[in-house]
Amino acid sequence: MIDALVAVLVLVGSSFMCLAALGILRLPDLLTRMHATTKAATLGVSLIMLGVCLHFAVEAVVARGLAIILFIMMTAPVAAHVIGRAGYFVGTRLWSGTVRDELKPHYDPLNHHLLSGLEEDDGRPDTAASGTRATDDLPGHDAPDPDADRQKG
Amino acid sequence: MSIVMLVSLAVMSLALCLTFIRLFRGPSLPDRVVAMELFSSILVGMMGVIAIATGVSFFLDVAIVVALMGFMATIGFSRFLERGGPRDD
Amino acid sequence: MIGAAWHLLLGIAWVVLTGDFSGGNLVAGLVFSYLVLALIQPQVPALAGYAQRLPRLVRFVGFFAKELVMANFKVSYDIVTPPWYMKPGVIAMPLKARTEFEIAFVANLISLTPGTLSLDVSDDRRVLYIHAMFLDDEAALRDNLAELERRALALFR
Repeated sequence: MIDALVAVLVLVGSSFMCLAALGILRLPDLLTRMHATTKAATLGVSLIMLGVCLHFAVEAVVARGLAIILFIMMTAPVAAHVIGRAGYFVGTRLWSGTVRDELKPHYDPLNHHLLSGLEEDDGRPDTAASGTRATDDLPGHDAPDPDADRQKG
Repeated sequence: MSIVMLVSLAVMSLALCLTFIRLFRGPSLPDRVVAMELFSSILVGMMGVIAIATGVSFFLDVAIVVALMGFMATIGFSRFLERGGPRDD
Repeated sequence: MIGAAWHLLLGIAWVVLTGDFSGGNLVAGLVFSYLVLALIQPQVPALAGYAQRLPRLVRFVGFFAKELVMANFKVSYDIVTPPWYMKPGVIAMPLKARTEFEIAFVANLISLTPGTLSLDVSDDRRVLYIHAMFLDDEAALRDNLAELERRALALFR
């Protein structure tokens, strides 16, 4: 019973790994490739480590396996964020099928400032005013403003 | 049981080969860094499978070290990239 | 935070006093200290609302696991089949999270949910830029992200 469960976990985990590798080979640009690698690889490692925990079922091994899962789950998004940000800012081209990019008008490549597009709500006229239309129709858009004003005043 | 382990090791070796193609071809440095990170993740998975197959649980320590090194290398490379400014390679 | 510290302290005290240093005993100690904290919670203002967080945490983990698996299959399907069904794009999402820890937590969760990847936070920390893989139904995606953020923030507040 336990053996069958371990076998299923290991097989599904390794096929997720293979899926991640297939994704990094096939997908068209850096950011979509990172979609494939971070999630599928994280899920694959987690499943395999769950299999290891079930197979050994000793406290020391289970603690190590859970520590690896926790570590991977904490570091994979951080690494993806850091490398995605670096890749975007060094000028990696996006795929031609990308439908919209709301980051580009707000980023200043010379001094590395990234504006939020909500600055004009504070009453400060700003250079990013031209790029604010994209965020105006969001749900929750007006929710943060009273808080911000209260903190300032 | 050992057949299952062999099959999963073979699948992960295939994954390593596919990742290596991207590492070799990758049009830009960030692509290669992403491939390298996936490399370390697949290695961690392989360590887990080998630990089950051989029954030696100390392989998990190796897996922890490999995961740590992969994360550190990614952080280091991206710091290096961000210092460099726009590039075209 | 104070509640979590007391919870851990009481659990360790249970382990030390019973003299049985095993993982199962620590879990038992944590269960008993949870009961104690839930009982004394009305009297101690610093602990207010702590006991309600555990069921919320369990529900959140279930919700997150469901999202993780469901959306992973969506992305895998697009990777395996030859034509691209995806419409990737970068969208800006206004953040309700305020402190650095909350922002980091929400951004990590969004990165782990397949189909979305957090790219960067604006300098004034009010907008999170997200790269999404499926932008066919943008309103539904934004609703989903807001739901995820609301549930994650309910764990701390």
